[in-house]
Amino acid sequence: MLVKIKSVANIGLETLPIEVEVDVASQGFPGFNIVGLASKAVEEARERVKTAIVNSGLDFPGKKITVNLAPADIPKDGAAYDLPIAIGILAASEQIPFMTMNDNRMTMNAIYYGELSLDGSLRATKGVLLVGIFAQKEHVSQIYVPIESANEASVIEDIQVFPVRNLKELVDHLHQIESITPIKHLEVSELVEEVEFETDIFEVAGQELAKRALTIAAAGGHNLLMWGPPGTGKTMLAKTMPSILPPLSPAEALEVTRIYSVAGLLSTGQSLIRRRPYRNPHHGVSPAGIIGGGSNPTPGEVSLAHLGVLFLDEMPEFPRSVLESLRQPMEDGEVSIVRASAHVSYPASFTLLAAVNPCPCGYLGHPRKECKCTDKQIRKYRSRISGPILDRIDLHVHVPVIEVEKLSTQHVSTSPTSKEIRSQVIAARKIQIDRFAETHLPAGRQVYTNSQMGNKLVKKYCQLSPETEGLLRLAIEKFDLSARAYFRLIKISRTIADLASEINILPSHMAEAIQYRQVS
Amino acid sequence: MFMSMQIKQVGKFNLYYKGTWNDKLFTKCMGVVGSRRITNYGHQVVEKIVPQLVFDGWTIVSGFMYGVDIAAHKTCLECGGKTIAVLGWGINYQNDSHDQKLLDQIVDSDGLVLSLWNDQPGTNWTFPARNKVVAEISHEIIVVEAAIKSGALLTATMVRNLKKPIWAIPGPITSSVSAGTNKLLADGLAKPWLGKSPSSPLTSSANSLQTSILNILQNESLDSSEISRKLQIPINQISAELSVMILTGALSEKNGKYYQP
Repeated sequence: MLVKIKSVANIGLETLPIEVEVDVASQGFPGFNIVGLASKAVEEARERVKTAIVNSGLDFPGKKITVNLAPADIPKDGAAYDLPIAIGILAASEQIPFMTMNDNRMTMNAIYYGELSLDGSLRATKGVLLVGIFAQKEHVSQIYVPIESANEASVIEDIQVFPVRNLKELVDHLHQIESITPIKHLEVSELVEEVEFETDIFEVAGQELAKRALTIAAAGGHNLLMWGPPGTGKTMLAKTMPSILPPLSPAEALEVTRIYSVAGLLSTGQSLIRRRPYRNPHHGVSPAGIIGGGSNPTPGEVSLAHLGVLFLDEMPEFPRSVLESLRQPMEDGEVSIVRASAHVSYPASFTLLAAVNPCPCGYLGHPRKECKCTDKQIRKYRSRISGPILDRIDLHVHVPVIEVEKLSTQHVSTSPTSKEIRSQVIAARKIQIDRFAETHLPAGRQVYTNSQMGNKLVKKYCQLSPETEGLLRLAIEKFDLSARAYFRLIKISRTIADLASEINILPSHMAEAIQYRQVS
Repeated sequence: MFMSMQIKQVGKFNLYYKGTWNDKLFTKCMGVVGSRRITNYGHQVVEKIVPQLVFDGWTIVSGFMYGVDIAAHKTCLECGGKTIAVLGWGINYQNDSHDQKLLDQIVDSDGLVLSLWNDQPGTNWTFPARNKVVAEISHEIIVVEAAIKSGALLTATMVRNLKKPIWAIPGPITSSVSAGTNKLLADGLAKPWLGKSPSSPLTSSANSLQTSILNILQNESLDSSEISRKLQIPINQISAELSVMILTGALSEKNGKYYQP
């Protein structure tokens, strides 16, 4: 008997329907074969499915079994086909009811997705959220997924998500002996709420200038480079960045969770990611690790940092190839990965935070310690970050050594908390969203923040008074700034004005922006 | 690809063009021309003078040849100016993708691309013809770097014949690509262009915040965060004031520390 079971393949963030055709022949030599461009992991499903069925106290038919994963030209990877294959075999050997079409609990209008363990239980499987989104789009009313991953799909409306603990339970459910209760639907908006952060910006002593730079970066989505000797709090400052960013909107939360679902990085039972991502890759990372890769490409750090922060500590220590690979995502807000088997695009719109030392040993300009680097070493170190990358970093800020005795306790207690800064940031973002409501980039992406403005938008939205422009020209002359720096300063001053809820960019906003210029 | 031909008459020339025609573009045109062999010095010069010209409302006109011409177009776009590129080949002649990208940017930023021909390849006689157009459109011309025998000098001669002002950038006397410009200056055919310093909108009289900043910096150098803590004034006000003080020369800064000069 031949049965067809619905399942899906996730290629990047795209979900394609897959039909699992299982034939248990009445004639022929006993055997078990899987065809249809199956990867090694899918091939191995044979052993898992066979053992799982036997260990669940069911009967594995000693007949010729052929499984076809159709369409045959899409590469299939991962262990998620275990469940549909097992269900197909049980249905084809008539151990579960299958052809009763008028019963909506039956196999016809349902997607099966999940990895089997040898004892018949289901293991957490990545990509369940995408299965849910696909089912909703294609009007498939039920999905059967591993219990540990089922919460991912709980935010999807109009579908029933059945959390399956093991094969035996599922068989009983299909026999209508004992039903599995679909998991409770959760509203996205209920889940997007206040979250606590470990590090509050208030805990960082001193460094008012750097904190202000972080505020501007968060408000306008600007990339930020912090430079200074080791141990001055650059890393700690970076860690506080997520706590001052606005919370994820429901749509954004779904977008981020989708990426994490594909990458298999959601923890057991987790539904939506609620805080903005903060990624902090070590400088040993490979280009594929940062951009994404593999034969079935998985998202890299830039995509995992989507709508959040990518922090590169000791940026010049990263291989040149890795830093250069950041150029495309920083420009386009997404990465395209091309491999022999697939062409995948992942979103990668992040705020880059970079920390650099002033020289290889780190103590150049340190008030007490002596720098041991030669001029040549320093030049080489600084040239590791190429001009095009530096050009995409709007804000540059010096994080100096603080002399503890100079910090009066009284002042520390008046420094703002993350929550206070966050409300300023949210207000400034609101102004920007209203400003760019009608504006789209050439690629059709929506503009949300000042940092995304091109030269044309800068001219449109950042009118400078003669006095402000005079100040800018004076600064360009004095500090010998490039033409690009001109636009960077205008964009920053726009964000500073937004933080102050000013419609016009005032000379004082421009003067403050000049503090964050690139220092050679 | 089929494109409808757009032609306009400018002076005695019939010109093919791409972009949105706007007569305003032609009201104040500065030709910026020079050698194909641009040196570092040439790049520095272009990056210094073009933004100033754009600020003063000039349209930058050049001949879209690698070297000084392309540098002028690019810098003009980077600082948000409008530029007119006069091609030395046909308007529909196939450009390489890199050049095409720049041409598209010129059109996108409300500039114009002009040519005397439709699909004529660039060859020895087309470039001097192109230079005539540059000379015709420009009201004044700046020669950035030019060897003794060069197209840029020919353009300069044409401009002179049209009785328009010619400027030249003085260059090192050791550089062969500055020999032509230096000779223009030596022969009195061009006036030296030295760029100009913007007039300062800032007054040098100190306000009360500046006075208190100067006071606490009397005996020591401090960074902006320290100044903000000492004076108990928010960092955004302090940094804005510090920028102004640096620009007026009231303070100096090194490695983030401010001190009285």
